[in-house]
Amino acid sequence: MTSNGRVRDGSRRGPVGVPRPGDTPAGSADPILRVEHLSKVYDDGTRALTDVSFQVPRGEFLVIIGLSGSGKSTLLRCINRLVEPTSGRVLLDGRDATAADRDELREIRRGVGMIFQQFNLVRRASVLTNVLAGRLGYIPPSWALGNYFPAPVVAQAMRNLERVGIAEKAFGRASALSGGQQQRVGIARALMQEPRLILADEPVASLDPALSHSILKYLEELNRKDGITVLCCLHFLSLARRYGSRILALKDGRVVFEGRPRDIDEARFREIYGQQAEEVEIT
Amino acid sequence: MNVSPGSGAPAAAGPRRGAPAPADGAMPVAGPSAGIRRAAGPVPWYRSWRAYAGLVVAAAVYIYGWHVTQIHLSELWRGARLIRPFVVALATPDVVTRTPSLQQAAAPYSYGGAPAPGAAGPLQGTGAGASLRLSRGAGASGDRVTVHGEGFGADRSGALWWENQIGQRQQLATFRTDAQGRFDAVITTPDVQGTRNQVIAEVVTGYGPLRPSQTLLVVLDRMVETVFLALMGTTMGVVFAVPLSFLGARNLTGHLPAGGAVYALTRTLFNLTRSIEALVLAIIFTVWVGLGPFAGVLALGVHSIASLGKLYSEAIESIDTGPIEAIMATGASTLQVIRYAVVPQIVPQFIAFTIYRWDINVRFSTVIGFVGGGGIGFVLQQYINLLQWPQAATALWMIALVVAAMDYASAVVRERIA
Repeated sequence: MTSNGRVRDGSRRGPVGVPRPGDTPAGSADPILRVEHLSKVYDDGTRALTDVSFQVPRGEFLVIIGLSGSGKSTLLRCINRLVEPTSGRVLLDGRDATAADRDELREIRRGVGMIFQQFNLVRRASVLTNVLAGRLGYIPPSWALGNYFPAPVVAQAMRNLERVGIAEKAFGRASALSGGQQQRVGIARALMQEPRLILADEPVASLDPALSHSILKYLEELNRKDGITVLCCLHFLSLARRYGSRILALKDGRVVFEGRPRDIDEARFREIYGQQAEEVEIT
Repeated sequence: MNVSPGSGAPAAAGPRRGAPAPADGAMPVAGPSAGIRRAAGPVPWYRSWRAYAGLVVAAAVYIYGWHVTQIHLSELWRGARLIRPFVVALATPDVVTRTPSLQQAAAPYSYGGAPAPGAAGPLQGTGAGASLRLSRGAGASGDRVTVHGEGFGADRSGALWWENQIGQRQQLATFRTDAQGRFDAVITTPDVQGTRNQVIAEVVTGYGPLRPSQTLLVVLDRMVETVFLALMGTTMGVVFAVPLSFLGARNLTGHLPAGGAVYALTRTLFNLTRSIEALVLAIIFTVWVGLGPFAGVLALGVHSIASLGKLYSEAIESIDTGPIEAIMATGASTLQVIRYAVVPQIVPQFIAFTIYRWDINVRFSTVIGFVGGGGIGFVLQQYINLLQWPQAATALWMIALVVAAMDYASAVVRERIA
C-alpha cells in the first residue's frame, strides 16, 4: 500500500506502488477482492460506474465514500452481481465472479455477506427466519418447500442473534423491531453465511445518527476478531475516518481518491463532495 | 356593519332594518355605486344566465327520468296492503315449530248393518285414559248421535273428527271439557263411502319441545349449498388466478421475452371477463351444463378468476424488492428466493383477497339461484312467487345472517393478516 492517498481520475493509472490490475500481484499477497476496469451503464443510459479498478487485501476495512448517486451502491452490487456489470472483471478470492455460471455464482455469493441501507428483512417473517435465510446458499433448495432448516443451523442462528444482542426477539416479527435492531438482524443474517467478505451498503444511513456507532462497532468487531474483510459505503466522512483502514472515494462513477483516512484534507474533501460541501461531524 | 363589495344587496338593508349601530362602533357606510360593485366581485350565481340554463337542463333531465322510470309514488301507498303480509312475516318467520301432545279417544260407528263385532249397546273407545261413548254404534249418514267423553284434561278445547274406512278425516264439531274432564256433544253423521267409520275426540294437552320447522331445514340445506357453491367458485378462481396473476404483474413479466405482450394480454383478459356480470355468466352456463349449482360454480369461478387475478397481480407488483435482493445475495436459488422473499410478502395479501372474494361470492350466490344456478336463491324465488311470506322471510333472514357473519369473519381475518 502507498502511505499517502492520491487523488486521481479514473482514466489515469494508479500511483506507483499501488498494485494495479494487470500488474503482477507481488505487492499484494493474494487480495480477497480485485476489481478490474469495472463499468456499468444501466438500460436507461445512466453511466453508474466508469472504469473502476481497485483491490482489497484480506482483513481490510475499506470505506467507500461519495455523494448520493456517485455509484457506491452499484459498485457493491456489481461485486456479487446483484447488478450485472457492463464490462470489467471482479475477482473474488481469485475466482472470476463476472464469468461464473449460475451455480458457481451461488457459491461465490454465499461467501459474501451483504448488509443493506433499508435492512431488507422480510418484515412479516420472524426474526429467526430472517436470520436462517442467510444460510440458504448452503442447504438444498428443495428443503425450502418444507421450510426446513437442520437443527445445527437453527442453533447457529440463535448464536448469531445472541452475538448481536437480540436473541430474545428471535420469535417476534421482524417488523416489530426498531431500525437499529433490524440492522442487527441484517448483520446476523450475513454472519450465517460465514462470509470472508461483507459488503455493507450504507448500513447506518437509515438510522438515528446516535445508533450509527453501535452498528458500525459490530462491523469493526467482525473485521478485527473474525478477520472478515469489510467493504462499507458511508455517507459521513467522520464515520469513514473513524472506522476505515482505507478509503475509496467515488465521484460520478469514477475513483477519485484511494488512500488512508487521514490523507483526506480540506481540498480533497471538496474535490470529492463538491465545492459547497461542509463537513458534518457525527459523534 | 361594513359590507364588503360584491355581496352588494344587503348593503342597503342594514340601516333600513333600523338596527342599532354595531358594538364595534363602525358606522353603516353608504354602499359603493352599483357599477363598481359589479366589477369588483364575482358575478353571483343568480345573475348568471348559465346557472339558469343549467337548472333548466337539469330539470328536463330529471323530469324525463321520472317519466321514463315510471315512478309513481302513489303505488307505494296503494301496494302497501299487498306487501303487508311480507312485512309481518319478517317479524314471524317460519323457523320453529312444536309438536302438540294429543289426548285421543275413538269409538267405531258402522254404516248399513250391524255394529262392530263385540260392541253392544253404547260403544266405548279409549285412549290415554280418556274414553268416548256414542249413543249408538251403527246407522246411516244423517243420524244424530250423542257423544260423551270422559277422562280428558280439564277445561280444554278439543275437536271431534270423523274418520272413514280409508283413514280420511273431517272435523265434525269442537267442544270444551268441563272441570272433571268430561264433555257432551251431538253430531250428525256425514255422508261418506264405506261402512266402518270412527269418531275420534282429540284434546291438545300441551306442546312438545321447540324444533326446527320444515322450512328452516330446507333453507339451511340450501344455505349450505350456497356457501359451498361460493367456496367452490372461489377455489376455481384461486386455482387459475394464482398462476395467471404472475403473468399479469408488470414487475415479473418485464424480464421475460415478449413480457409486455404477455402482460397486456393477461390484463385485457382479466378486464374483459370482469366486465361480464356473474349473473349473465350463470345464464350462459345453465345453457351449457344445465340448471343447478354446477352452473353457479362455473359462473362465480370465471368471474373470480378475473377479479382475483387483477388483485393478485397488483399485490405482486407492490412487493418490496429489497428482501429479494437480500436473499439473492446469500446465494439462494430462484426457488429459495421465491419461498423466502416473494411468498412471505404476497401470501397475506393473497389470503386477504381470497377471503374477501369468498365473502362477495357468498353474497352473490344467493341470487344466482334466480337464474337457475343453484343455492338458496332458488327456494327464495319459489317462496316469493307462491306468496309464502313466512317461508320467504326465513330464507331472507338466513341470507342476511350468513352474509353478515361472513362479512364480519372476513374482516376479522383480513385485519389479523394485514
